[in-house]
Amino acid sequence: METPAENTDPVYKNKDYGQYRELFYSYDEQGNFGKTVGYHNEPDRLVLQQSWDLFNDRTEEARQKVLAGTASPIVYYMEKILADPLGLSMMAGVSFWKVKLHFKPFFFKRLSNKTLAKYAEAFNITVDQLKNFEQ
Amino acid sequence: MMESKPMMINYIHRQAGHCESGATSNLFNYYGIQMSEPMAFGIGTGIYFSYLPFIKLMFAPMMSFRNLPNTVFHRSMKYLGVDATVIKKFNDVKESMDVLDRNLEKGIPTGVQVGVFNLTFFPPEYRQHYNMHNMVVYGKEGNLYHISDTVMEHPQTLTYDDLVRVRWAKGAFAPKGKMYWINHVPEELDIRYGVEQGIKKSVYEMTKVPFWLVGIKGMRVMAKDIRKWPKKHGNQKAAFYLGSILRMAEDFGTGGAGFRYIYGAFLKESGQKFDNKALLEAADLMGRTANKWREFTYLGARNCKNRSSQPIEDYVTLGDMMMEIAGMEEQVFKRIEKIKI
Repeated sequence: METPAENTDPVYKNKDYGQYRELFYSYDEQGNFGKTVGYHNEPDRLVLQQSWDLFNDRTEEARQKVLAGTASPIVYYMEKILADPLGLSMMAGVSFWKVKLHFKPFFFKRLSNKTLAKYAEAFNITVDQLKNFEQ
Repeated sequence: MMESKPMMINYIHRQAGHCESGATSNLFNYYGIQMSEPMAFGIGTGIYFSYLPFIKLMFAPMMSFRNLPNTVFHRSMKYLGVDATVIKKFNDVKESMDVLDRNLEKGIPTGVQVGVFNLTFFPPEYRQHYNMHNMVVYGKEGNLYHISDTVMEHPQTLTYDDLVRVRWAKGAFAPKGKMYWINHVPEELDIRYGVEQGIKKSVYEMTKVPFWLVGIKGMRVMAKDIRKWPKKHGNQKAAFYLGSILRMAEDFGTGGAGFRYIYGAFLKESGQKFDNKALLEAADLMGRTANKWREFTYLGARNCKNRSSQPIEDYVTLGDMMMEIAGMEEQVFKRIEKIKI
């Protein structure tokens, strides 16, 4: 089993990205369908990096809001796991309008440990981490 | 649970373009039937198109180039007359894992539907909330499960807890422990009948569904929407929406061009098998359509690169191109509509 040569690439900003080879089909002039195993070419990487840029921007924005005290830590962790409010309500098992309320620090402070545990499980962190936001 | 002895099934992992048709073809091969990935994909009617702009998936309009999960497996089994079992959902986590263990003890490689986000061996750039991935479990050693994921080059392993986590991933289209396997394959398979039925169903789904967002009609609606995006949402958002089309078409294990290459390969293979000229012609047209999709991607990606300083005309060109692609695909399905194999 030979290890594939490292994919040195300026498009991805994260170094771990783009290290796996995939199978692609193609069609040539002679009318044959071919199979190749390789890395994604540049256009595909560009659009993938673009979406990660958006997610990172959103996470950073949420972090600033939480530090400023205008949003609850739930917003930050939600962006961190790339979820939207509806997805979060499905993952945590809390109804949608309640999730929306819990985005505000006022309601977040009054949450019971039981509800916090639901969120913590969805975010894959402990309740303490959720309560004491220091990032 | 701990005292169980290692179980390994002699299952051959082969990389494939698409997760589910790859798994299906590998399962067929395990039971001694030579079935390539495009063949499984075509008979299982994997090709599809739907565009649902009012549902947002990962902050972009939802679209799909493939059928619903498990369609490929289910339909290819049905059309070929193979005895297979699909368990749609479990109520209990423990039960779902026990059934899997029992299957492995009997020596049955079992397909499972999983969510991608917590899948530890998956390429990190794809770790998004996508709950329709398929892979085959074919062995167990103590706490470790052996997995054949056709997107990856080599077989992988997962621990018990990780497997539970991905099989019970939550969110939209939650898999709920869905699993499937083949019980018994008859001696002689009527591939001809399978191909005929598969093509018939695909033609229906691509051209005749009476709903304006599915099939070729959906592509035309999307083409019209693409032209409007920069005016409606601004350049930044339009570029992101466009990027999401390209991502859906090219990444996420499609084999390139949103499964169009795989379908073309299926038409060609069955055309050669049954010596049918019309199928070969359709295959050629499908291949050229797929190349057009590629071209669309290259043009679109250039648009995404410098996203704030792009004139609006480019989106009009892209919309026209999409219209052309829709017309070409319609030609393909018209040609194979009333085919006699």
